[in-house]
Amino acid sequence: MAHPLQLGFQDAASPVMEELLHFHDHALMVVFLISTLVLYIILAMISTKLTNKFILDSQEIEIIWTVLPAVILILIALPSLRILYLMDEINDPHLTIKAVGHQWYWSYEYTDYEDLGFDTYMIPTQDLAPGQFRLLEADHRMVVPVESPLRVLVTAEDVLHSWAVPRLGVKMDAVPGRLNQTAFIMFRPGIFYGQCSEICGANHSFMPIVVEAVPLEHFETWSSLMLEGA
Amino acid sequence: MLATRALHLVGKRAISTSVCLRGGHGVAKVEEYTLPAYFDRRENPLPDVCYVQNLSPEQKSLKEKEIGSWAALSNEEKIALYRISFKQSFAEMNQGSSEWKSVVGGMMFLIGFTGLVVLWQRKYVYGPVPHTFDAEYKAKELQRTLDMRMNPVEGFASKWDYENKQWKK
Repeated sequence: MAHPLQLGFQDAASPVMEELLHFHDHALMVVFLISTLVLYIILAMISTKLTNKFILDSQEIEIIWTVLPAVILILIALPSLRILYLMDEINDPHLTIKAVGHQWYWSYEYTDYEDLGFDTYMIPTQDLAPGQFRLLEADHRMVVPVESPLRVLVTAEDVLHSWAVPRLGVKMDAVPGRLNQTAFIMFRPGIFYGQCSEICGANHSFMPIVVEAVPLEHFETWSSLMLEGA
Repeated sequence: MLATRALHLVGKRAISTSVCLRGGHGVAKVEEYTLPAYFDRRENPLPDVCYVQNLSPEQKSLKEKEIGSWAALSNEEKIALYRISFKQSFAEMNQGSSEWKSVVGGMMFLIGFTGLVVLWQRKYVYGPVPHTFDAEYKAKELQRTLDMRMNPVEGFASKWDYENKQWKK
């Protein structure tokens, strides 16, 4: 999760997010360069004593300031499209999880091998244990094995929701009556928080998503425990 | 008005003047937007008309004197001729005003007033913040963030020195 007053992105936990971080750096650098140039030109225009208004027919600079923006746009578009296609690559997921949005909680179903399903509700502020994050903790976490390609099918039971985890670079709308697929690989174990990202009613801000990446043995232990408990 | 003087044979009312008579009801002023106007502009130094249109007798005699040699004109006469043609000199036209001081002052006053309004709201309108904002709770949250190695690459946990249990220098 983000630390207080954080402005930039959180560190990536999946390869796609890492690519997005680098692309963002690239695009932001272009934006800063252009803004600085424009700001400088504005200040120069305001503070000059020159008053020639009748400049006509300056073909060279017209060519430059038509071609150069086109080149810059191509330089932004190429990495962007690369990442877009990277996100859609055919991968062979080891595990498929269904995330179903309800008003106002998420439920996860792991139905590849056994029939495991559970609901996760936000832990209310007054029930937090010391040190837990307000509005982000949930009573059950979506546990997944680390370094395995995963597929998440996102849908909703009632109204639109959106399943988002910033550190994985994932945001997928949960549309009732539709299955949306997203895939990722987690390359770092840990706990990753996200929040519902589509307005869905009174408690839209209070249905967080918590993903926990653990080594495969621990995942197997956890799923057996959950099946017994259910 | 130059046009009316030039075409006085046609008659004043046939050409738009500064006075408009409508059906005998009264007199309305009509602006002469189509006629050449005087303006003081840095980028257009020579306006279309002279500033003073109706010359007084002294000014008329000065204009007669201008036809002769200019070396014969004294400095005051040259300045008087300038002032006939132009309203403001370049120095007068380009000088700034002190308006910015009142603008900045007003801005700062309003920002200060807004700050007072916000403080009042904090005290009398809003309820207490959740218990998670207590210093002790925040310390536990911070410890948990570091224990979980949140953002270990460039973010939070990367700034903590785990061996020496302190922030990295």
